[in-house]
Amino acid sequence: MLELREIHKQWQQRPLLRGVGLRVAAGETVALLGASGSGKSTLLKIIAGLDEPESGTVWCDGQDVTRWPPEQRRFALMFQDFALFPHLDVQDNVAFGLVEQRLGRRQARDEARAMLERFGLASHARSRTWTLSGGEQQRVALARALITRPRVLLLDEPFSALDADLREQLRREFLLRINEAGMAAVLVTHDEAEARAMARHAWRLQDGLLQPLW
Amino acid sequence: MRGLRAPGWLLLALPLVFMGLLLVAPVLRLLAQGLGTADLSLIGVWSDEHLRWRLAWSVLQAAITCLLALVLGLPLAWLLARLSFPGRWLVLRLLMLPFVVPTLVAALGVLALWGPRGIIGQPLAGWGIDLTETPWLLLYGNLFFNLCLVVRAGVDALEQVNAQQLAAARTLGATAWRAFWRIEWPSIRPWMLSALCLVFLYCFAGFGLALVLGGHRYATVEVEIYSLVAHELALAEASVLAIWMLGLTGLVALVYAWIERRLAAPVRTSPLPRRRPDTVGAWLALVGGLLLLFLLCAAPLLAIVWRALLALSDTGAAVLAEPDTWQAVGNTLRFSLMALVLATVLGLAHALGVHALDQWRTRRGEAAAAGWALGWRALEYLPFVVSAVTVSFGLLLLYPDWTASLALLVGAYALLAYPFVARSVTAGLDAMPPSLGHAAATLGASPWRVTWRVVLPLVAPALRRGMAFAAATALGEFAVSLFLSRPEWTTLTTLIYQRLGRPGESNLDAAMLLACLLMALALLAFVLIEGRPRRTSNQHA
Repeated sequence: MLELREIHKQWQQRPLLRGVGLRVAAGETVALLGASGSGKSTLLKIIAGLDEPESGTVWCDGQDVTRWPPEQRRFALMFQDFALFPHLDVQDNVAFGLVEQRLGRRQARDEARAMLERFGLASHARSRTWTLSGGEQQRVALARALITRPRVLLLDEPFSALDADLREQLRREFLLRINEAGMAAVLVTHDEAEARAMARHAWRLQDGLLQPLW
Repeated sequence: MRGLRAPGWLLLALPLVFMGLLLVAPVLRLLAQGLGTADLSLIGVWSDEHLRWRLAWSVLQAAITCLLALVLGLPLAWLLARLSFPGRWLVLRLLMLPFVVPTLVAALGVLALWGPRGIIGQPLAGWGIDLTETPWLLLYGNLFFNLCLVVRAGVDALEQVNAQQLAAARTLGATAWRAFWRIEWPSIRPWMLSALCLVFLYCFAGFGLALVLGGHRYATVEVEIYSLVAHELALAEASVLAIWMLGLTGLVALVYAWIERRLAAPVRTSPLPRRRPDTVGAWLALVGGLLLLFLLCAAPLLAIVWRALLALSDTGAAVLAEPDTWQAVGNTLRFSLMALVLATVLGLAHALGVHALDQWRTRRGEAAAAGWALGWRALEYLPFVVSAVTVSFGLLLLYPDWTASLALLVGAYALLAYPFVARSVTAGLDAMPPSLGHAAATLGASPWRVTWRVVLPLVAPALRRGMAFAAATALGEFAVSLFLSRPEWTTLTTLIYQRLGRPGESNLDAAMLLACLLMALALLAFVLIEGRPRRTSNQHA
């Protein structure tokens, strides 16, 4: 389970987060809504360990992980621009996290290919990432995030770069796979329809505080 | 991404200490020498007619070059940015050529074309026109180097002009000419000014061209400083001149930094599509422009090749059988390789250090491109601002017991070459989306592993490009070799200069042949190190 307690963060001498608290149970997806610049992405980075709060703590499965570096948390973050590594092919992108877990390169590739098979991307295993369509790139990013079996999945506006039809299709697919994996997930979005389709609970981040929506 | 501050400072410490020892301390020593001298005051220089002319001419030739480069370069840039024609990419790539060619080679190229025995100079001499001891050879040499810089900057700037703004101006009644002056020119002006600042710095602080092409009358302050130190041992006068050089280059560098700061975050807008030249006038302009470019930037190099081929079939070929030549080739390669390794380490450390501190600041909620952050970046330019002659002179004054040491020579080479690596890698890092590093970290990679597995592979093309320029700079280094080298450490550049100083056509032929060899080495090193540009970063999304 993921829990945030009293997170405070300033940005350029102005308070951005003012005592944010949040609990997400395993297998549950919650959505964070808010206007641009409201601090949604910063909050996600604080959870991932990519940013530090001025005060407050981040807990996961009963452990205080606030001071843990991102590579030790096992929280996967999916980015708006997918953040696929352009110097690696699709299969090595997916295998990246396994190699970091000191799995042999060959075994990591085998597992990556198996994962790509499940995602219907087996034929693209040796392709360069930029040759894939937007939807395919998004699936590769999800496969890469899920293959290490993270404790928490963080999604930062994951569908905003895609067109409406594809967005709808991928939402369903993502929800299915996240439920299968049974992890806590936090979705940051500015699209209320997307939040309703994917999340059991949603909060709006406004003036540095979280207000419950549903 | 935690703990970026300490590694950032540690990485930055290496180039900073290096610059402190080989650049700042020698310059301070030079200042102390110049300000402490009783023979000649800073103002006193201006009452000496000879020195006053040297200073005034140095400023004037740089200013005239800027003006000519703008007047000729802007139309050329417009043609290359707006017209689509076969071989356009090749022309753009060839514009990089003068940056790779050593200054001494360029000087010989100008002589091979316009000198008394040159391809054009000889017929001119038959009509009684002798261009030596006129300012034209130096100005031509300056244009060879700097026209391409202005054209490249112009092309880049014109590609940033917003097509929609231009379309709006035309629909509001502006003719193409009026739209250029009211929309395009204001938008590209900062880029052109920035390029002209660099042109001024290169011409003002240049040494090789002025030494070979300036003659007695039109040599610059840099040549005067070298003569005062090497031939007259007048250190006091030389240091006062060096202080004036430092002040004036520092002033232009400040203007440059101020303009660059304004350009720090260019907004990418929809560029104007290029069109094929569809009228006779457009074709004539294009052909005329390309001919001008050929005459100013390619002809001197072809003239050298031509003269070298002639020399090969004549007495000049003997130089290739001399042991001195191959010793010089060996020294050039040895020093350049050592300098390249050092420059790469320093450049990488500087760029990665700045990058780490930027990330640390951004995370703390500070703007990455503000205040000190820009200051650390600006330091990458410092070795460009202080001329090679000033650095070498300062090193002579500060470390008199080390002047013939290999460490100092290679250190000075690396000092002049490392900004190319640092600038190129910094640009590569700036272009890299931060999300890639973040993604790697959340996938379990430690900061060191992120650097190794993601950052370095992605900046590799930029690193190779920077190293290619650094290698070309080291291979063609002239001023430092002249000041700090031992007789047995003759490099190709100093050997060419020795040959030029001896009378007789066979020596000129030998110099041309050696220059051709040096040019081939520099181009080969550049092509081998840079490799084929690959399609990787920033094209994934």
